[in-house]
Amino acid sequence: MEFNTRFFQEFADACSKQDGPQLARTLSPDIPTEELREICNSQNAHDIKRVLKRGLQGSAALVGGLGQQEVQGWVEIYTTYWNAARTILVARESSDDRRQSSQSDLVWTKVYAAWTELLNVLLRGYQNNGIEAWTLPCMYVVCKHLRLFAMEADEERNNSSSVDESAAPSLQDDFNPETNKRQKLEDCARVLSRVFTACQSDRAPLEESRKWGSYYLANLLLKTYFKLNSTSLSKNIMNSLFAGGKDMPDLSAFPKSQQVTFKYHQGVLAFLEENYVAAEQHLTDAWNNCHKDAVRNKERILTYLIPCRLIKDHMLPTEKLLAQYPRLQKLFLPICRCIKRGELHNFDLALQEGEDELVKRRIYLTLERGRDLALRNLLRKVFIARGFEEAKEGEKPARRSRVPVTEFAAAISLGSQERIDNDEVECLLANMIYKNHMKGYISRQHGIVVLSKSGAFPGTGV
Amino acid sequence: MASSHTTTKKDDKPAAETKPEQQPAAEQKAAPLEEDDEFEDFPVDNWEQEDTEAASGGDATQHLWEESWDDDDTSDDFSAQLKEELKKVEASKKR
Repeated sequence: MEFNTRFFQEFADACSKQDGPQLARTLSPDIPTEELREICNSQNAHDIKRVLKRGLQGSAALVGGLGQQEVQGWVEIYTTYWNAARTILVARESSDDRRQSSQSDLVWTKVYAAWTELLNVLLRGYQNNGIEAWTLPCMYVVCKHLRLFAMEADEERNNSSSVDESAAPSLQDDFNPETNKRQKLEDCARVLSRVFTACQSDRAPLEESRKWGSYYLANLLLKTYFKLNSTSLSKNIMNSLFAGGKDMPDLSAFPKSQQVTFKYHQGVLAFLEENYVAAEQHLTDAWNNCHKDAVRNKERILTYLIPCRLIKDHMLPTEKLLAQYPRLQKLFLPICRCIKRGELHNFDLALQEGEDELVKRRIYLTLERGRDLALRNLLRKVFIARGFEEAKEGEKPARRSRVPVTEFAAAISLGSQERIDNDEVECLLANMIYKNHMKGYISRQHGIVVLSKSGAFPGTGV
Repeated sequence: MASSHTTTKKDDKPAAETKPEQQPAAEQKAAPLEEDDEFEDFPVDNWEQEDTEAASGGDATQHLWEESWDDDDTSDDFSAQLKEELKKVEASKKR
């Protein structure tokens, strides 16, 4: 917003109401270019501090309770914001006419640097100038855009450096193109983690503590670490949040957007560690509290919840559920169908078919374990197809519980048409028994499997 | 790999049709990854319990999840095939 009377009124208004989001809007870079230009042109570098000081002191006088220190803090903040706004204007204008000047500067790198400075000044405002915690949304908006600018800067650099790409590796032996690609984002992660610590370690009484900013910052960091593929750093964030103990307000006291985002990341982290019990718990929490219209986020939650429930509870998503998410339907439906019908070979094919997508989402290995269920269902079908013993009078008919290994073998090789020898089949069967998918024992002497008369396939009704 | 890719592209330049065809394909492949792997910001900060997935019926597990095995479906091709196969095995043993 242009630094004029209206701005100083707005500032005073937000301060008197202690309306964080309203104040945060004055620091947003997410405004039309025209507005941005007005801000930049309304002042010059020589006068800006003086203008801001006079204006903000006026605002402070209107509100009352805003100390000299605090006003000075805001003067610095808005001055830095103005500087950053000028770099953004340049960046936007140069992206507009990029066609004309192909060899442009790294304008977004400059934006990133200027915006980092804004965040530093803002942080100092909290730590040294006594800026109060109700203004935390200002911190949020600045942090959020720092990450976006970092990604913009990385992308810009990666695109423009393609010309001298061949020269770069020879300059340095330990040149790592992957790290270099994410340079600014990595820097951003370090900056954000400082802000996170500044929130977390605030010792002010809870109602006015920056601790209330912890989860917002944690979520931003988690997103960043996920992008950087650094699960170990994500773990650090979790640990430091939980180490906060009693001092830290419960997650349920935070806005739902923060709860759900946090639970999603917590769930995915547990998932990647193959802790499916915890993963299911967190992802279910995320799912239940998610806004009903946030379809894409619900889809992301399900991407991990589905494999989780498959492995842990042996449950599949219904076709009705998948039908609401075409992407998930494409990803999971073939696999789920094959599991359900016990089509072992088609299961392998479906998994192969989806391999790229599944690996990308890091769910391939988990889904692969669904093969056990497909196999169980296939063996179960053999068992059911064999029907019942002749019932003795007055007794309920019992299923024929002695199954030749050759029948299981025939069923297993049915789909692929590949003969597999009995030893291998026995190995598969022994595994099923070991994993408690099937109850019974193998009698090698007779080449049969003797299945339990009470629940040969636990949990499946037979 | 990236450099070899660009060189082939340069070589292909005269064939005007191949280039526009290749590019969208590469873009399409890359786009979903970027957009997929990040949890989106919610448009609002907070919402009422009644606007949650749980309250709008998403919690009713019976609609969303089902058992991983199937009894009803014995008429499908695969089951029929399986029965045939099992009969064959049984028959060969009796002989």
